[in-house]
Amino acid sequence: MTSPNGLICFTNCLLPQEDGALVQKDLWIDERRGVILDSQRTFFLRKERPDRIIDLGGNILSPGFIDIQINGAYDFDFSVYEGDDEAYKAGLRTVAEKIVETGVTSLLPTIITQERSLYPKILHLLRPYASANSATLLGWHAEGPFIQFAKRGAHAPQFLLAAQDEIRSFEDVYGAENLAVTEDWLMGGEGHDDTVGVRVITAAPEVDGVQSTIEELVRRGIVFSIGHSIASTEVATAAVQFGARLITHLFNAMPQLHHRDPSIIGLLGASPHLSSPSSPTSPVSATFTRTSTLHRVSSVTKRAAAAKGPQATSEAFDDVQTPPQTPVLRAQDGDVDAFELGLQKGKVADLSFERPFYELIVDGIHSHPNSVRLAYSSYPEGCVLITDAMKILDPNLKDGVHEWRDGKRFVKSGDKLYLEGTDTLAGSVVTLDKCVRNFSRFTGCSLGEAIKCATFNPAKCLGIEHKKGTLRPGADADLVVLDRKGKVLSTWVGGHEVWQKQSS
Amino acid sequence: MRLIIRDDPAAVGEYIGNYIAKRINAFNPTPEKPFVLGLPTGSSPIPTYKHLIGLVKAGKLSFKNVVTFNMDEYVGLPEDHPESYHTFMFREFFSHIDIPPSQVNILNGNAKDLIKECREYEDKIKKHGGIELFLGGIGEDGHIAFNEPGSSLASRTRIKTLAYDTILANARFFNNNVAAVPRMALTVGVATVLDSREVVVVVTGQRKALALSKAIEEGVNHLWTLSALQLHPWALIVVDEDATAELHVKTVKYFKSIERVQDEVEATHAALAKQGVDEPVGSME
Repeated sequence: MTSPNGLICFTNCLLPQEDGALVQKDLWIDERRGVILDSQRTFFLRKERPDRIIDLGGNILSPGFIDIQINGAYDFDFSVYEGDDEAYKAGLRTVAEKIVETGVTSLLPTIITQERSLYPKILHLLRPYASANSATLLGWHAEGPFIQFAKRGAHAPQFLLAAQDEIRSFEDVYGAENLAVTEDWLMGGEGHDDTVGVRVITAAPEVDGVQSTIEELVRRGIVFSIGHSIASTEVATAAVQFGARLITHLFNAMPQLHHRDPSIIGLLGASPHLSSPSSPTSPVSATFTRTSTLHRVSSVTKRAAAAKGPQATSEAFDDVQTPPQTPVLRAQDGDVDAFELGLQKGKVADLSFERPFYELIVDGIHSHPNSVRLAYSSYPEGCVLITDAMKILDPNLKDGVHEWRDGKRFVKSGDKLYLEGTDTLAGSVVTLDKCVRNFSRFTGCSLGEAIKCATFNPAKCLGIEHKKGTLRPGADADLVVLDRKGKVLSTWVGGHEVWQKQSS
Repeated sequence: MRLIIRDDPAAVGEYIGNYIAKRINAFNPTPEKPFVLGLPTGSSPIPTYKHLIGLVKAGKLSFKNVVTFNMDEYVGLPEDHPESYHTFMFREFFSHIDIPPSQVNILNGNAKDLIKECREYEDKIKKHGGIELFLGGIGEDGHIAFNEPGSSLASRTRIKTLAYDTILANARFFNNNVAAVPRMALTVGVATVLDSREVVVVVTGQRKALALSKAIEEGVNHLWTLSALQLHPWALIVVDEDATAELHVKTVKYFKSIERVQDEVEATHAALAKQGVDEPVGSME
């Protein structure tokens, strides 16, 4: 059912705004160009109004969800390439076509640490891909291999690398072509002018050669994300100052919050005092000494882990206990009284850098609801919901025992997934729409604010908020209709309905 | 002149909305002979627009064959500025009804030649055979459209400097920044309004009470431009109780009695119409 003049008006609906509000308003789209319209300009300048009006019965019309970290779904694993380009592409298409039932209209396939020779090939296959009847594949998220051994989660230890030669090391692994500056990288694909494409690299800034490469990666248009890391507060802060703008699955695969060295998690509370370049106690360094114990993972453990190979656990979980850190506190020097204090209530002193966005897996397992709320309250603007889902993600899969691989079987029980006969969690299977609902319940925020964390915030983190994750005029008409409880009713990509809930 | 008094702004909006719907439907407009409607902006007409939108959504009214002319627009304010009257009309009314965009007319306050813009607006109204019904509101100083106190009662569409009162009153829409309020507007003249076959004015709220009493209880005076309505043969003012605060009890009682008689007359006419006697319902006067 198309509109005679190609314009559609959604009416009787709530529109999530970029500030998290839900506003009763109409939305006009152009189904032929696949974009959201400035309705007033269309009316007065183009002298047209939509021929087709869709009454949404008071439901919510949201920008489509964006999942910036997903390892696979519908039995396809983005990290498994078996030498057949066509088979891999077919797998990508399957995921893109099916994932729309979870309200996701854009996703960033994530590949975990690989044997190094596979990277150039896989990353090349993960160029941006948009089609009329499926979610958009935005590019790639390479998680590893430049990550911390002690926080490797399910990443294969034998493939972890350091980056002694800095950008050269990165190019050697990922392929220089895949690390070209954004413009050249996009030109190299089949995309047209207004294709959006993004690349994210998760790495540990404390790994040799990584910290000094961040600026160059950022210059090339790559989003640097801190993750699988034991970076101290000092290192993590410096990484952000070099341009890191994301934290990979906050709380998971990183040191837990220690009040004397809050490390990566502490970035959410980055203090104006310590971030100020003119601070008498120059950032952190004067205050704390490094906890070198974290680097000393015994070689026996290392070899044993290497021999075992990749584990069937969520890649985000730790499988090595890191020793508790108790940094030595030194007395602060410098005269804090020399500085002006704010006299206006509610005005927070400026930070010298932007706090990074942070990913949360809101399945109720990877992060406790209290932790989710704690993170969100400290920095709501940076919150990005992800699934970090494994290839087993498929909302249609029934609870029970299912075949996996290598003769192993897993047991699915709601959002939990166990290896058969064990209580080992086998990864995340939560869908992003469920994360949004969970998030609203866990934090007590409104549904509109939760939606923002799966739409506008991820888009802004990736620098594509002019096209995705928003309802502003000119953005892609990627939409999801939700009922007032946050359940997906239908999904639209580029101005066309691609999925509709079957009424039961 | 008739004065209708209702309890509150919502009831006023419902009354005027039903009244306009009745007039449009009775007119039976066609593409060749559309109903020409004059429209205001401001907070007073919002309940009326809401009610009209409801009637359109309920299928009891259509604007497919209605041509509209708006009263005024600021000069130099971008058309898509949140406070422009283009934005207001789209947001509060046009986006929710079925009017074709080509049948909507609003003065262009960004035209290069503003004088020409005004002249052409008048010509366009004439070309459409004049305005059938002009809906209006008033300011606290009794202005109709942007015809501020002191405007000629014979005025036509033109450039108008806003009165300081109006600028102060509108500053609340511009972050309370008086300097940001446009100083000029294009507006239809008092005579343009008087030329229309019927004028309906909405006046609600205690703050408009003095203006209402000046306009209907005293003489025709260019310092209260609404008073020019006294010269119009078919004028209707619909007010809420608050707006009557400055009126004499006698005035209120008189107009209430007119309403009763008008109802009776209309009922009689309706009965006649059923018997095939074709007589248009007009003013008592």
